[in-house]
Amino acid sequence: MNIALFFQQIANGLAIGSVYAIFALGYTLIFSILGIINFAHGAVFTLGAYFTYTFMGLAFGFNGLLAQQKLPFGLPFPIALVLGGLAAGAIGVLIERAFFRPLRMRGGDSLLTLVSSLGIAVAIVNIIQYLVGAEAYAYPMSALGGLPPSVNFGTPESPLIVRTVQIVIFAVSMIILAGLTYLINATRTGKALRAVAEDATTASLLGINTDRLIMFTFFLSGFVGGIAGTLVGLSVTVTGPYFGIAFGLKGLAVIVLGGLGSIPGAVIGGLVIGLAEALVPSQSSALKEAVAFAILFVILLVRPQGIMGRVQVQKV
Amino acid sequence: MSNVVLQASKLTRMFGGLCAVNEVSFDVLEGEIFGLIGPNGAGKTTLFNLVTGMTPPTSGRLTYRGQNITGLRAHRIAALGIARTFQNIRLFGNLSALENVMIGQHLSATTNTVSSIVGLPASRREENKTRDRAYELLEMVNLLSKADDKARNFAYGDQRRLEIARALALNPQLLLLDEPGAGMNPNEKAELSTFIRQMRQQFNLTIVLIEHHVPMVMGLCDRIAVLNFGLLIALGNPAQVQNDPAVIEAYLGD
Repeated sequence: MNIALFFQQIANGLAIGSVYAIFALGYTLIFSILGIINFAHGAVFTLGAYFTYTFMGLAFGFNGLLAQQKLPFGLPFPIALVLGGLAAGAIGVLIERAFFRPLRMRGGDSLLTLVSSLGIAVAIVNIIQYLVGAEAYAYPMSALGGLPPSVNFGTPESPLIVRTVQIVIFAVSMIILAGLTYLINATRTGKALRAVAEDATTASLLGINTDRLIMFTFFLSGFVGGIAGTLVGLSVTVTGPYFGIAFGLKGLAVIVLGGLGSIPGAVIGGLVIGLAEALVPSQSSALKEAVAFAILFVILLVRPQGIMGRVQVQKV
Repeated sequence: MSNVVLQASKLTRMFGGLCAVNEVSFDVLEGEIFGLIGPNGAGKTTLFNLVTGMTPPTSGRLTYRGQNITGLRAHRIAALGIARTFQNIRLFGNLSALENVMIGQHLSATTNTVSSIVGLPASRREENKTRDRAYELLEMVNLLSKADDKARNFAYGDQRRLEIARALALNPQLLLLDEPGAGMNPNEKAELSTFIRQMRQQFNLTIVLIEHHVPMVMGLCDRIAVLNFGLLIALGNPAQVQNDPAVIEAYLGD
């Protein structure tokens, strides 16, 4: 592998790894508060990509209820990206209010919530297919405005070329990551979130409205999921209603690798899997997923609690 | 006469077939230290859980300063000015001592979530005020030097005091202390009694406390309620309770 290609692959790995990281944080936020994996997260990721597509004022295909429909206006990509994230966050809140909270109020087993979240994922996929069909949608090249399609970090003689999309993805992910870190560590709301994650009952006795914080957590989770969906859609295409399902599984691998419930763990796990996949030579790219999951397997053999996970001390 | 702060009437809580609290009625008066004693399993902690909204009562009624609080959610009751500590300490172990106390002040914050995230000047000022007040409370319980340490690394006695500081951060008018002296030797218990009296004075508190150590209860409390198997078997000042045949029976009889 020559140096230019290697450089490119590292850039690819960092870009996709950073998206894995923010996507996986969506799982981590909900897991650390409720101790539940929200399997609908992959579907919210898909929705985010479709929402952004819609906000850009682009038309849907011939299949589905909304054939050839589009908004009367089209927003520039950065604004559509944020609105798409906000809309995905709203879906997250809806999922919590309509499905998670009723089960929690009735003292339902967490396994029930998990299975119903799988059901929500299937329902969302079907609704998307019903509304806009199963075809792939791509953001237009103009999404990045006047930016050139690639940047040369080398010299004209020995080029080190990176796609602009990868740089944008990495930058947006880092902004989200920095924002979340600030929110959780430095704000009053973040402190309340950490308190609820540790002991919701005690937090409520100190006057914290835990239900409102849980709703806020679902909003954040949906927001980062929706942004991640758009970013991946920008890099490849939105491949159809099942777009987020494989990504959802990858996100699970990331949080298990990083350590369940650990925020730095989700970030490190995302980057490790992203880089590992990128370094698989392109002639054997079919093995990409296999390599990612093999790494997961090996690391879990050595550290069953994940890279940043804490060992659970069983009380006797 | 003094006002009634907390009133329980025919308060009952069943767990399956077990009656943990059985038609218990009492008044707690403004400014008093009200003791709650009884053998293990008598229903004392359950009673605290009912008052703070952690467990809804099966039947009966709770009033706080004339307002019906029966079945109100825990964070609403906390907002009315009722705080508590736990028999088995429940601190946020991964948060620093300072953060634990600051959480207790979450309620008194007047700026909203969005402005706290965006870091508007009003929120900044408020955050600074909250931090200063948290430092004051830590100083009061002699933990100022450990403000930035994680709560889970604290020694047992320090954890107890930190939990009290966190409860005080709520600015409560009624403070429920669940065995604050558990695991302390008689000297430490005497110190604790002094501290509780001082707290009442300084913060104008009404205090309800669960304690097993008889000399401490007798010396500290204005009035005492005795629970046995969920029933209120005696209520009165220390001398009355000490000589009550039903109490002697419960503690010494089979």
